[in-house]
Amino acid sequence: MNFFSKLTSKNEQKLIQRLINGDQQAFEQVVSEYQNIMISVARAIVGEAFADEVVQDAWISAIKALPKFEGRSSLKTWLLHIVSNGAKSRVRRENRHSSLDEGWQAISSDKFDNTGHRYDDVLPWEEATPEALLANDQLQMVIEESFQQLPAQQRAALSLYDMEGIEMKEICNILDVSASNVRVLLHRARTTLHQSIEKYQDNK
Amino acid sequence: MYQCKDIVDEVNNYIDGELPLGKRVGLFFHLLICSCCRNYLQQIRSTLSIITVSKPKEDDNTDTKLLAEKLHGIYKSHQH
Ligand SMILES: [Zn+2]
Repeated sequence: MNFFSKLTSKNEQKLIQRLINGDQQAFEQVVSEYQNIMISVARAIVGEAFADEVVQDAWISAIKALPKFEGRSSLKTWLLHIVSNGAKSRVRRENRHSSLDEGWQAISSDKFDNTGHRYDDVLPWEEATPEALLANDQLQMVIEESFQQLPAQQRAALSLYDMEGIEMKEICNILDVSASNVRVLLHRARTTLHQSIEKYQDNK
Repeated sequence: MYQCKDIVDEVNNYIDGELPLGKRVGLFFHLLICSCCRNYLQQIRSTLSIITVSKPKEDDNTDTKLLAEKLHGIYKSHQH
C-alpha cells in the first residue's frame, strides 16, 4: 500500500532547511499541510475538548525541536509523533478513556438468511472514475458529512491509513491502538462511508 | 463454507491482504459463485478510491496562516 515517501525526499530536505532558516512561507506551507491531520490525531486520543490546545502545544514543541530534526522519519510522521505524545500525556492527566465501539452499528443481520446468504441483490455501481463521480458536488458533500459523523478514532485511522498512507506500525504507535483494533476502525469507517454512498446512489 | 455475511465482515481485510491464506481462498471461492458479493466487493473498492480522491477532512476552523505567523514569531525569538 505504501507508495508514499517513507524517507525524507530532496524536496522535504529543502523545506526543512527553509524552516530552520526561519523562512515564513515555509512555516505557512507546513502548517497548512499538517494542521488538519494533527487535529485528527489529537481528537482521536484526547477528544474534542482538549485537541486544539494539544495541537498548539505540539506545534510549539516541534518548532523548538526543529534544529534537532534528523530526518530519520518524514516531517509528517515526526509531527504526528509529537502531537501523539502530547495527547497521550494529556489523556493520562485527564484520565480519559475512549471506546472502540463508540458510534458503531454492524450491518444488520436481517440482510441475511439463517445460512448467512443475502436476501437482496447487490447491484454493481456504475463504472466511473472517482474524479468523474466527484465532479458532482453532492457526492462530495455526502462524503464530508458522513466522514464528520464518524467517531474520532475511526476518522483518524481512515485518514492515516487510506489518505496519508502511513504504515500500520506507525499508526498503532501514533494512536496507541493495536493493529487488530486499527483494522476494526478501518473496517467500520469504510463500511459507514460505503453505506452513505450507496444511499446516495439509490436516491439519485 | 463461507457466506455473504463473511464477505461483509472481512471485505476490508480481504482488500488489504490481511487474511491468512485459508480464509482468503475460502472467500475467493464464495466470490466465484456469488455475484452479489462480487458487486459488494466492487462497491467497497470504489468507495475506497472515492475516499482517496475526495479526501474528507476534519472540521477545523484554525486560521493556519495566523498560526504559522505566530509560530514563526516564537521561532525567531527562540533563536536569539
Ligand atoms: Zn455472497
